[in-house]
Parts: sequence; structure tokens; C-alpha cells
Amino acid sequence: MNLEGPTVSAANQSLSTIASVGVWLALVLACGSGCIVRVYQPMSGLHDPIVVDPRAPNFKDVRLTVHCVPGDYLTRSETSALCRKVGTLFENQGAVVRTVDSVGRADDELQDGEKRAIEPTTDLTLELRSRKVHKSNHPLSWALTIASFTALPGVSEYTFAQDVSIRDESGFLLVSDSLKGRVIRRFGFGPWLGNALADIAKEKGERITGGASDRDLSEDMYGQLSQMTFNAKMQWEVLRESAPVRSSEVP
Amino acid sequence: MVSMLMVPFAFVLPIFSGDPAPSLLRSKAYSRTLDCERLSPQEGAERRPGQIIAAKPRGDFVERSVVVCAERLVRPGVRPPRDEAILAELDARSAEFAAATSGRPDLEDHTWLVEAYYPSAQVSAKISFAAKNALMGQGRSVSDRTPILAADDILVITRMAPKDAYPAACQRYFANGSLGDNDALLAVVSRDPQETMLHAGLCTSGVWTWLK
Repeated sequence: MNLEGPTVSAANQSLSTIASVGVWLALVLACGSGCIVRVYQPMSGLHDPIVVDPRAPNFKDVRLTVHCVPGDYLTRSETSALCRKVGTLFENQGAVVRTVDSVGRADDELQDGEKRAIEPTTDLTLELRSRKVHKSNHPLSWALTIASFTALPGVSEYTFAQDVSIRDESGFLLVSDSLKGRVIRRFGFGPWLGNALADIAKEKGERITGGASDRDLSEDMYGQLSQMTFNAKMQWEVLRESAPVRSSEVP
Repeated sequence: MVSMLMVPFAFVLPIFSGDPAPSLLRSKAYSRTLDCERLSPQEGAERRPGQIIAAKPRGDFVERSVVVCAERLVRPGVRPPRDEAILAELDARSAEFAAATSGRPDLEDHTWLVEAYYPSAQVSAKISFAAKNALMGQGRSVSDRTPILAADDILVITRMAPKDAYPAACQRYFANGSLGDNDALLAVVSRDPQETMLHAGLCTSGVWTWLK
């Protein structure tokens, strides 16, 4: 009787399973934060049609103040970075830009002196306020991702809103809107591998991995900001034209 | 090996989850055809009864939230972006224009005419219709009559800057009798090919005023 046969076979199977789990864990550890697939979905406002060309000199000689107010979505440094980038966006379009970064304070907490300093030197004031609308970690997905050694995705997501308002030099509201989007993070080697393989066959604009979500979000955000500011500029011009007429017509 | 066998589930899970976000088989292009908003289960149940279950009176075991999406009426790319943007906001913008006319109680007994200045004739007709509808909603007396300019006037006015062209056209409408003393013209204007916002001007007794 050969009593060793099945025992050796079972031991080999166990070793094989342990080895495959070990290889898998090594792969997960190796890819680390790279195993996160970040997906951006525009919810409202961010994917509205854009007509203005953000590369053209749309704001020649317009004095624009970009005022960034931090909220619970962006940190101080992120708010500063956003303000700088938005400033550059409009400088490239010919505007004379001034960025006001009221880091750590809300607009109504600004000192009177600061407000006076902002107002007289600008034609338009673009105010950006970021807020987090919703955040969730899907606990079941995380349980599954642990149980499956990250073959299944662990999902977390947040919904953000970028409130935009553009005023003229007197503080009159020209344009306002709230741009809303959603960012979903899918963690795991399985989803990362799946998406990376699928991306090979996709067109560049349809790819999900490789920082595509950041690129898409930036493109949408800067496009919408350009369009809204252009609309505000046109509205501002109309108001300037109508001002003398109104004063003579309305008693 | 077990975990390797579970890899296909990573493909399957997002597909059947109904998540509108881009995933392995849901394209970005499709996600961009949707307008979405995040709601509480209560709000969701009110808007989509039967599809979304409201939170229990004493709360749920887990905190829930709903993303409700609606497909856009016209697929992106079918209409030019400018037309699409103008038409998407037309209802709200027309209501704003009509509301702005309420600031002129002296024109209550006037007959209102509407003229749309937009490059596309089809979109122009829609703008004009929406503005008339909104004016009627304000209780105004609206006419389908269109004011007319002579060919020479058009030749001169189209060469002017927008700042001067609209007041000049208004003067000519009044001078040639297209607009009478009891007529008010609401002109809905797109001033620049790059803007996605309409403006409104008012022409009465040969005097032009920008409303919005």
C-alpha cells in the first residue's frame, strides 16, 4: 500500500496554492498605489458644450481677478495650485490676471482692507469655491477585495462641486454655475490589469488608466471656466453699453 | 489559483452594478451623454417611486446615497455645440427675458413682437417661439408680426459694430413704420459666435435698451 502518494499530492497542491497566493500578493505589493484605477465622471455642468477656444486670445486687456476659496474638497495647497493654474489659463488667453488666494478663510471673513484692494483693480472677478458633496467607501467591495486578494475591486468614491461665480467691478453677478463631478477609485490588481489590457484596444480619448481621469477633469474644468468667463465678458459689455441708456430712460 | 480564477469577476462586477461611471465596458462617451445628480434616498424615492427605496423612518443599517442620471435628449455631436448650448438653456433664459420686461409697466398695453438674431434659421425660430411663449406667460399681448427693414438699411446696419447696429436697427424700425407707438420689440441676440449665452434688447418708440 502506498500511503505517501495522496499526502505528497496534497502537500504539493498546498504549496502550489501558497505559491500562487504569494505571487499574487507580491504583484499587489509591487504595484502598490499603482493598482488604483481612478475614474472621473462629469455629472452636471462639466460636460456642457464649449464653443470658446481656450488657446485663443479671448480676454485681451481684460483685468481678471481669480479668487479661490478653499473648502472641504481641496486643501490649502491644492487651492493655491488651482488658483495658479486658472490664472495661467486666462493669462494665456490675454487677460491681465491677479490671483487672490484667501487660504483658510471664507470670503465673508476677508478683511475690509483686502476687499477694497481687490475691487478697484479689476474688470471681472472669478470666484471659485470647492466643496465635497458626498464621500463613500463601499464596505462590501473592500471585504470582497480582501477576500479575493484584490482580484475584485475595492471601491471608494466622492462627488465634488466647483461653484463658480463671475462678477463685474461693482460686484454685480454676471454668471454663476455649479460644476459637479464624481471620482471613483477602484483598488486592486484585478481591475487594474483588466483596464490596462482593455485600454490597449481603446482609442486614446477612451482610455481609463495612465492618469486619464486627471486629464479629462482638467480639460472639462478649464474649458467650462473659459466659456463661463467669456459669457460673463459679453454680459459685462452689454451692461456697459446699456448703462448710459438706462440712466437716461428710467426715471 | 482561486484568486486568478476570480479575475473575470473584476470585469463583470462594474458592468452589472449599474454605475454610470466609465468602466471596462461602459465608455466615457456614454457617460458623457448623461446628466446626473446625487440625491438622498428620500429625494430619489420621491422622484423615482418604485425604483428607489426611501430610507426607513428609523434610518437604514448603512448610509445610502443615490446617483440619478437622465440621458440627454440629443446625443452629443448631433447638433453644433453652440446650438446645443443655446437650446439647452433656452427655456430658462426666455423666462428671464420675459421677467425682465416686467420692469416696464408702461409697456403693459403694448403689442409685443419678437425677433431673434442668430445665424441658424432653425434655431432662430425656436428662440423666437420660446420668447413669445414666455412673454405670453407674463400676460403680454404677443404678435407674430415681424418688423421689416429696407435692403439699404440692412446693408448699412450689418456693417456696423453690434454696439451701434442694434440701436440703429431700432431707429429704422420705428422710422419706417414697422414698429408703431404701441409696439414693443423684444430682440433676442447672440452677439458673438463664441458665446453660449443669449442677450435681450428692447426697442420701443425707436429707443434701444439692453435688458440682459
